[in-house]
Amino acid sequence: MTHANERLFDHKAAREWKLKKTRAEKDKRMSLKDAVAEFVEDGDSLIETGFAYVRGPMAAYFEIGRQKKKDLVGIFTPGGISTVWHEFGGLEGAHVAYVGVEMRGLISPFRRGVEAGTLKVYSDWSHGALSLSLRAAEQGVNYVASKSMLGTDLMKSNPYIKEDRDPWTGEPVCLIPAMYPDLAIIHVHHADKYGNGRIWGAVVNDTAIAVAARKVVVTCERIVDSADIRSNPYQVIVPHYCVDAVCEVPYGAWPGDMPGLYYFDRRLQEKIVRTLWKTAEGTKEYYEKYIMGTRNQYEMLAMAAEDEGVNAIDYVKQLEQLACDAFCYGMGSWGVGGEREWKYEEVAKRLI
Amino acid sequence: MQLMTDHNTMEMMICAAARQLEDGSSVAVGTGAPCAATMLAQKAYAPNLVIIFEAGGVAPLLPTMPISVGDSRTFYKAVMASGMCDVMETLQRGMVDYSFLGGAQIDMYGNLNSTVIGDWAHPKVRLPGSGGANDFGSFAWKIMVITPQDSRRFVEEVDFITTPGYLQGPGTREEAGLCRNSGPHKVITNMAVMGYDPESKRMRVESIHKGHSFGEVQENTGFELLQAPKVVETPEPTPAELRILREEVDPNRYIIGR
Repeated sequence: MTHANERLFDHKAAREWKLKKTRAEKDKRMSLKDAVAEFVEDGDSLIETGFAYVRGPMAAYFEIGRQKKKDLVGIFTPGGISTVWHEFGGLEGAHVAYVGVEMRGLISPFRRGVEAGTLKVYSDWSHGALSLSLRAAEQGVNYVASKSMLGTDLMKSNPYIKEDRDPWTGEPVCLIPAMYPDLAIIHVHHADKYGNGRIWGAVVNDTAIAVAARKVVVTCERIVDSADIRSNPYQVIVPHYCVDAVCEVPYGAWPGDMPGLYYFDRRLQEKIVRTLWKTAEGTKEYYEKYIMGTRNQYEMLAMAAEDEGVNAIDYVKQLEQLACDAFCYGMGSWGVGGEREWKYEEVAKRLI
Repeated sequence: MQLMTDHNTMEMMICAAARQLEDGSSVAVGTGAPCAATMLAQKAYAPNLVIIFEAGGVAPLLPTMPISVGDSRTFYKAVMASGMCDVMETLQRGMVDYSFLGGAQIDMYGNLNSTVIGDWAHPKVRLPGSGGANDFGSFAWKIMVITPQDSRRFVEEVDFITTPGYLQGPGTREEAGLCRNSGPHKVITNMAVMGYDPESKRMRVESIHKGHSFGEVQENTGFELLQAPKVVETPEPTPAELRILREEVDPNRYIIGR
């Protein structure tokens, strides 16, 4: 078994992998549990999608934690949510453009792991350089040239990029190889049963990630009829021929932000980031209580509701409404269909 | 009741930063104080400010303060919800005038460190990493930094250059392959506004906030500061700026504090 890093820039193998992908429309619906069991393998490189806590497949990351997947290598542009698994053997190393929660602070388990020397940072990138690496993969070309990272220690410390000269002008350029992660899980607003995924809000790197990653799992707030996608294909960021599995996971980005639907669960996130993750003991408590102590997103929502004494779903929906008058997104009808692991009515009953 | 002319240090910094952004310009921005300054500028005197967020939001009319640069608000009434690569390429093409950055360390040439304290392979402190900072600092025409004046932040030599300033001095930015006529522009702290000497590219004090002195600024800086030919007092926030900042930009006082 090769290390994930050896597969990461192997453009020939990545191209040949495309032969395995089904081009035909095929029903790929399955439960999140089954998708994680089948497609997340120990030692995989996992690229985090969305903008970390914005439209991130949080429910899937929690399920990875529950299934105790081992020795993943994270790719963060941005991200670091999965660095929390490091202290439990889930993540062994990382390629980093950014790991943090912006103005809300650091992801302490990442910092602890790196400072202790147990969590390996294989490379540091800028967001621009790492997103270009994915764009090179999207283009199907060996590398792209850029002016990012020139003159800096990012250039010197990163073993994968090279400085060279522009053959026309002789000016320095940064050459960035195409990156092909083993696995990506992308959370979208709507997907049809074949995996065509539609979003509202910023794409971040997900169009490139969808075609660069070897294995792609789509999680969605709702399964919609394929005719609905075909009548309005403009916001589709993942085409079905990239996708290996489709899982309907309502509130799948919670406690993060799902543009137009629900906002960050501020209370829970502040507690996690500013208190629990700060210490190894707190992180263990978080892991055992919220992740291992629940079976799915529904149970976690209920647990949070019990702790905070507030209906978590109403709370995040109201926050979104307050944040930005969510109806401005002009979302169409939700559509129907699909099988999910749990029902809204049950959630409502438990949470009220 | 607090008078609209009384203000705290953070409000002073945000107002000083906001005034750097003229109407009709473009700015790439993160969350926190830079975002507050940008929102203040957009609401107070730069309605045509094009604000760009690295997750993909282009030219939003920010309703309230985003807490993430990918936040639902970053594309509220925006003209595009694009992606990270598109934004960075827009910067690389030269379409972004200003950027606001932070960092754990800054040196006299405006180089910034947000990666590690200590050695990269075995760091004493691991920081979040570049994010968009390196790209913003490489490609925006004018780069501004908002940070507290502190000799642990203003250091002789940064432990790791994450974001290029004027690198090792005049000409070195261009030699490295970065665009001419771009680079560090202002540093706004709780004590002063600094710029860069056009010849030596070294940081210099340009204006000092009321109640502070050059000596105090120098004392809180780990390298020798230059002085502009005429160092003035930084204009204080106006009642109009403070009203907008407190009532519209940050009513919950997340950034400006209580």
